[in-house]
Amino acid sequence: MLGLFSLAFLAAILAGCLCGAIGFHIQRFNVITLSFSIAHAALAGASLGLLFNFDSTYSAMIAAFLSALILGLFFIRVEYERELISMAVFSASSAIALLSIYMSTTRVLATASVAVVLWGSLLAVTLQKLIILLVVTVLFLFHIFAFRMHIDAILYDRKLAEAEGIDVQFHTLVLLLFTGVAIASTLKLTGGFLVFTLLYNPMASASQLVKNARNQLILSSLLGSSSAVLGLVISYILNMPVGATIAITSSIILLVSFMARLVSEKFKVKEISKIML
Amino acid sequence: MQSFRGVPRGNVVELNRVYVAYAGSDKPAIIDISLKIPMKKLVLITGPNGAGKTTLIETCLGLLKPFKGKVFLLGVDTRKREVIKARKMCSYVPQDFMKPPYEAFSVKHIILMGFSSYKAPFEPLNREEREKIVWAANLLGIEDLLDKPIGILSGGQQQKVLIARAFARKPKILFLDEPFASLDKESRIFLAEMFRKYVDSEGATVFIVSHDVNPIVAYADITVELSNGRIRRVEEC
Repeated sequence: MLGLFSLAFLAAILAGCLCGAIGFHIQRFNVITLSFSIAHAALAGASLGLLFNFDSTYSAMIAAFLSALILGLFFIRVEYERELISMAVFSASSAIALLSIYMSTTRVLATASVAVVLWGSLLAVTLQKLIILLVVTVLFLFHIFAFRMHIDAILYDRKLAEAEGIDVQFHTLVLLLFTGVAIASTLKLTGGFLVFTLLYNPMASASQLVKNARNQLILSSLLGSSSAVLGLVISYILNMPVGATIAITSSIILLVSFMARLVSEKFKVKEISKIML
Repeated sequence: MQSFRGVPRGNVVELNRVYVAYAGSDKPAIIDISLKIPMKKLVLITGPNGAGKTTLIETCLGLLKPFKGKVFLLGVDTRKREVIKARKMCSYVPQDFMKPPYEAFSVKHIILMGFSSYKAPFEPLNREEREKIVWAANLLGIEDLLDKPIGILSGGQQQKVLIARAFARKPKILFLDEPFASLDKESRIFLAEMFRKYVDSEGATVFIVSHDVNPIVAYADITVELSNGRIRRVEEC
């Protein structure tokens, strides 16, 4: 049987890899605000799970899945007001999350459970949750390999892909559903308020370092896994909330990537100047 | 009108009293447009900036939905989901085609993406499609660029890549938005002749949006002139 740390270690690798890969697609499909709303809907679902004494991973998954379905089916084509609708979902979800947490702490004194939902815990990873994360990762990889040509066409030019008869709305909806399920599966490791750092920071770092889309996808997954594992180890050594240490680690990686890009650009300018002289 | 599955007998594009407005805008971009375009025609859509030319072809493709009136593409109402299948028989070259220098997809990859809408999951390219890529690249004179990343190419070269992608799909309808914008005079004349030949040899319909009528007007069967979102003149040549 795997020990607690081994379970958390494997979950960190999978969660980082999955969120890094999904984050790449979220950014290139231009659905960042929608995914942000889905992340908060998952938090609201997890908090409602606490309030009604239901496993918060599953309640988060239901809420994230439903919000992804609603946003993907009804609002994906509404470009003008999409951001506003996303922010409305975000505000409402945050309010539900905070109210549920407030009510659950005052009524049932479930402080430890609340802490897991808010900033994550090593102890929250069970074999069952690890298997769910593994299944979601395998399904997502299967999807992006199966529809590689369709997805590449959308990544290159969304409007052109749509004009040529690719079902862009379907692929966007599937991406949002995977986003919802991935967030819900990762929520207990990183915590509800920090789960999106694993979605956005690895992709942001990868885009600083490489420009090729395929390399960005691979690097984003690797950096996601590295951030999650490093954050986990730091959390274990310093006895700090795991979600916060993962978020800080991924933010430091982003800062270093940004500085590396600046240095590399300066070096290139110097080289060009030398050639010109 | 019959369905998109066979070779269309009627009009490939039909607009009935169509009004289209962009979200957030009070003024419609196209107003009360009615138009019927049959097969085997080269259609020139012209007019000044802001006349509604791009809006018109994006409406024909169903990328923009009318708030009033009906649009049929190959007999399919563009409001219905089936329009996705009709679009598989169309190609499009958008006006805003330029990619930034860091866009690393190769020219070959971009042309092969044109086949993706026909593909089932995991289905690789077949030999015929690989040959079409080479054929289209040769046709546009970009065979030497096939392995180069699109981002490093000039505007004219990037535009030729998208025209090659459009031809490689062998579409029944070809929509081109300002296809001459980034090209030199020689390339413009060469392309205009090529579009004409494509209409005659494949029995296809080609829509060309161009604010400058010079390169294409001599080859066009129908000229549609727009002004302030309305049809000012339709002329059969």
